Amino acid sequence: MLVADSLSFAYPEQAPYLFSPEASPGEITAISGASGSGKSTLLDLLAGFQRPRSGALTLDGADLLPLPPEARPVSLLLQADNLFDHISAADNALLGLPRGTPKQQGLQAVNAALAEVGLAGFEDKSAATLSGGQKQRVALARTLLRDRPVLLLDEPFSALDDETRRTTRDLVAELTRRHGWHTILVSHHADDIAALANRHYRLVDGRLERV
Amino acid sequence: MLTLPHRPARIAIATALSIAIAALIAAVLWAILAAATDAGGQSRVDIPHLLRMTAIQAGLTTILSLLVGMALAWALNRLRFVGRDLMVGLFAAAIVTPGMVVAFGLLSIWGRNGWINQLSQSLFGVTFDSPAYGLSGILLAHVILDGAFAARILLARLDAIPATRLKIGQSLALSAGRRFRLIDWPAMAGSLPGLGAIIFLLAFTSFPIVLLLGGGPANQTLEVAIFSAVRLDFDLVGAVRLALTQIGVCALVILLASAFTPPPAALDRSLPPTWRDGPGARALQWLVLVVATAGFALPLLSVLYDGIVGGFGRVLAQPAFWRAAITSIGIGTASALLTLLLALGLALGRSAAGHPLARTGLGIPAFAYLAVPAVVLSLGFFLLVRNFGVSTGTAAPFVVVGANSLLALPFAMATLGPPLDAIVRTRGKLIRSLGIGGWMQFARIEYPLLGRDIGLMLALSFCFSLGDLGVIALFGTQDFQTLPLMMYRALGSYRNNDAAAIAAILLIGTIAAFIFLPRLIERLAHAGRR
Repeated sequence: MLVADSLSFAYPEQAPYLFSPEASPGEITAISGASGSGKSTLLDLLAGFQRPRSGALTLDGADLLPLPPEARPVSLLLQADNLFDHISAADNALLGLPRGTPKQQGLQAVNAALAEVGLAGFEDKSAATLSGGQKQRVALARTLLRDRPVLLLDEPFSALDDETRRTTRDLVAELTRRHGWHTILVSHHADDIAALANRHYRLVDGRLERV
Repeated sequence: MLTLPHRPARIAIATALSIAIAALIAAVLWAILAAATDAGGQSRVDIPHLLRMTAIQAGLTTILSLLVGMALAWALNRLRFVGRDLMVGLFAAAIVTPGMVVAFGLLSIWGRNGWINQLSQSLFGVTFDSPAYGLSGILLAHVILDGAFAARILLARLDAIPATRLKIGQSLALSAGRRFRLIDWPAMAGSLPGLGAIIFLLAFTSFPIVLLLGGGPANQTLEVAIFSAVRLDFDLVGAVRLALTQIGVCALVILLASAFTPPPAALDRSLPPTWRDGPGARALQWLVLVVATAGFALPLLSVLYDGIVGGFGRVLAQPAFWRAAITSIGIGTASALLTLLLALGLALGRSAAGHPLARTGLGIPAFAYLAVPAVVLSLGFFLLVRNFGVSTGTAAPFVVVGANSLLALPFAMATLGPPLDAIVRTRGKLIRSLGIGGWMQFARIEYPLLGRDIGLMLALSFCFSLGDLGVIALFGTQDFQTLPLMMYRALGSYRNNDAAAIAAILLIGTIAAFIFLPRLIERLAHAGRR
């Protein structure tokens, strides 16, 4: 269980935020709220890009706050810029494996991960040539290879057309269930939340309200 | 682009200016070609040798400056320390720091009687051959200036990397090497061809540094050879051939460079996450920063020190100094204002012209001056003035102001053009819906928004002119000299203390103008930075 207990944060000359969300394995927790309400700040706190003024953050009892972003058991999927455009889909996915993984073993794992997200045969394609939905799928393949128990999604479907949005959404839900991820989705799209959320919080005046 | 209302007056003014500037280039080229045809005689200039030497020097300068610039930009992007902004500002000032001043600073440190040799003599009783002369000295001076310039440009690219990309990279625990390959390199790579072409042109047409540090014919470049042919050997045929070669190569480089358009910088300027590289990479970054700062700042500090010790007082007491200072400031001010008028006239017309061909047509004559080095332009004017039977003494002030202004024009256009286009893009519909036009549009909208850019353009133009030696070298006389020419003459007559004091004054003047002019104009325009 991922538990944030009264995580507080304040930008200069602004009222402080206070967050206490929880996420269970195999489930998707959605966070909604108006623009500027602090949704991305919450993700930054969970991922380690911002340090809270106070509060606690644990995963199955283990304290995550002392860990820097690169050491947290967290994968990220953002609205854009998830891939490095000048390398191939396979090379992007390979970044999810620990350094020193034998090449052959790495390639096999990448092929399997790309197949799991429906991109078998796309290994050698340059990331720059992929569509928006395909890029998100490659990023999900990398997430599979990283094998971190927490997946943070920051408006990951916003740039996709309706059809791609539905299929990518279904894929996220399926992978979350299959791999037991604690997935936290930040979105201001009601249909995404309705389709995916097992638990839903709304951010109002810097506080989370369970919906 | 239909967002702005039709602005026939702006387009007409820009067209007239563009035609006038193009006619002037044509006249200069005609004067040079006619002189070559008329003379038709023999010349002793060895063009293949000079071309080879100039290309080697400029090529090495470009490679080394880009390497230094990338390393320095990388270090500055990562490290945070007190005084960082000041240091970045200092590196930005490299573009306007007079080459003569840097050359003098290098001599002060690495020269035969420089600090290094004095220290070595007193500690170990031995002295070294000076590396400040010849190809090594030229490269050192160029890399100090152009490496710092490259670092400033590349740092802007690194600082514009979207925060989202950095978040992904950090969460993937990329090593320093992978981070450079996957994130930093793609951000910088798009700028390298254009930046390399600019540095190559700057080095290819470098005049004062090669003149002071060249150390003889072996390291002479085309630019210096033209000056020597006109002023020392009276070999007009040789000068013309060299000038045509020079223009041809510069035009070729510009054409090649124009094929590479740098990708637009990302607009995500949100605060990037704190992501420190490992201890090994950080140690390397500090090392790069310390070495680069020492390499850039030491020659400048030594210029200031030598100037103060050498005796500001004696120089300030000379009437000739005050005449030269007033001439320099007058020429700088006049050429900066003329550049502003030309650049604004052209840039406002270009931003109003919707068709890409029209925009290109209005820009080409101004940007063509990139291909015309200072000494060549000066030679062209020199020949034109002679053809019209005007004495060079009478024409000198006008020619020097005009030439300096034209040489600064491409940089002025590059400074004002993008923000003006951005105004059209972001506020064009609003301007159109409010029915604002003409002078009101400029005074109420464009001028306040462009305040800082106009200030930067004026500062660039003023500083270029203040440090110019290439144009004044052919037109200067005992009665009409600027501070750089006076400094050059002081060096030529072994009055090193006078030269040191003038170099220090030039350095202080250019840095002060570069820092304060943009702020002053911005304040006058009551505009915040967009």
